[in-house]
Amino acid sequence: MEKKFRIDFNESNVLESVTYTLVSEFDLKPNVLRADIGGDGHGFMLVSIVGEKENMVKGMTHLRDLGYGVRELSGHIFHDYDRCWNCGACVSLCPTRSIYYTEDDEIKLNTDTCIACGSCINACSVKAIQLEL
Amino acid sequence: MTKTYEEINERIRSGKAVVMTAEEVVDLVREKGAERAAEEVDVVTTGTFGAMCSSGAFVNFGHADPPIRMTDIRLNGVEAYGGLAAVDTYIGATSLIDPPGTGYGGAHVIEDLIAGKKVHLQAWGPGTDCYVRKSIDTYITLDDVNEAYLYNPRNMYQNYGVATNTSDRTLYTYMGKLMPRMKNATYSSAGELSPLLNDPHLDTIGMGTRIFLAGGEGYVAWQGTQFSTTAPEVNGVPTQGSRTLAVIGDMKQMDAKYVRGLDITGYGISLAIGIGVPIPVLNKDVMQRCAISNEEIFAEMVDYSIPSKRPCMQRYSYAQLRSGQIEYQGKTVRTSAMSSLHGARDVANTLKDWIEHGELLLNEPCLPMPREGKLKSLMERGV
Repeated sequence: MEKKFRIDFNESNVLESVTYTLVSEFDLKPNVLRADIGGDGHGFMLVSIVGEKENMVKGMTHLRDLGYGVRELSGHIFHDYDRCWNCGACVSLCPTRSIYYTEDDEIKLNTDTCIACGSCINACSVKAIQLEL
Repeated sequence: MTKTYEEINERIRSGKAVVMTAEEVVDLVREKGAERAAEEVDVVTTGTFGAMCSSGAFVNFGHADPPIRMTDIRLNGVEAYGGLAAVDTYIGATSLIDPPGTGYGGAHVIEDLIAGKKVHLQAWGPGTDCYVRKSIDTYITLDDVNEAYLYNPRNMYQNYGVATNTSDRTLYTYMGKLMPRMKNATYSSAGELSPLLNDPHLDTIGMGTRIFLAGGEGYVAWQGTQFSTTAPEVNGVPTQGSRTLAVIGDMKQMDAKYVRGLDITGYGISLAIGIGVPIPVLNKDVMQRCAISNEEIFAEMVDYSIPSKRPCMQRYSYAQLRSGQIEYQGKTVRTSAMSSLHGARDVANTLKDWIEHGELLLNEPCLPMPREGKLKSLMERGV
């Protein structure tokens, strides 16, 4: 299975290699989508993780025990289809082509492949896309 | 074979008119030829749904007791014009909220009114012997006011450029967010569905032409501002902005589905509006022009990192633009529209439905649009 998580760091654990731990100890395949660490040592990382469900639960529990904030992302991006007027300003910006035209030129968003980069957010003229991280 | 407006209207009244959208007739004419298609089809409907900044609404609030001559007017905090008679105003789509910065403006006031929402009216006046009152603070709805009609000085650009960005920084423009180093390009016209691309020299569309305006019945009121006929043509249609129309229509008939207040990052406020024009198939030439396809309509890509006088980088057909990517000097550039293609199709289909059900008759323009128009630039000079 594949799931996306937001992992929060702080000063006490920012130097640890989270992805190495997930690979070596839990047989998971993490793919870092975004990472941002501020000058105060706080920061977060968005990872997409592929692996067995049992390993994923164990791995994430382990990270929580070490003091990381771990939150699964599912509704991390929200597309308001009532507000959206199908203009397409967001479509050519999406690096993973998660926003696309349907056959009838409606705009749809595939939340599974969205990496939460946020490029579409300020391109939307009616604030129909919201990113909640 | 020729048909008159009256013959077409007679068929509409009796529910026998054959109406097709500008997309649907492309294949029909390819298959049967313009002559036979013109015999079969009575009306072709077109549509567009995009940002049309040069739009606005006239409103008459009615008189309060005691009455006021409003000279300073705010609607939901957005400035409306105070230079008309006592309780008349005009609110422009791009007018900003005071203080600015909340992403709300005149276009949103127009959308809120059409959606039936209450709008906060604040107005001030000098107080005169005939209009003693100096201020008023109340809430209005579209139903409460006497008249409310859109009068948009420049809508329905015939064609428009394709925007890209060769610089190293992201540009925020009215053509959307343009990523550095030509990662993307945006375009605005509805192509083969766009009203003025289906009647490129305005042989049937003129002053007084009855149209679909945001879900209500509207009219072509005048030539649009910046009306120009000098653009180069390919396949009989211009490759640049070119002709425009001024339109008018009763807001009380309109449907909020076809109206959107826009907040375009880095640019400001604009109004997206759905407009459709019916084209009477008077003869095979009209039919032939309505059959123009996205493969045959071209637009010029320009670099928005150049501040003015942007030269054409390359022409692309709307078929290429709609494919999602184009090539420029060996580089792939992703494309998407700044207008709603789905909305344009919806407008053309709804207008088709109206005509099929006898709800909209066609009319002959009372005055043709100018055959020629040339853009003037603003000169900067002393006295």
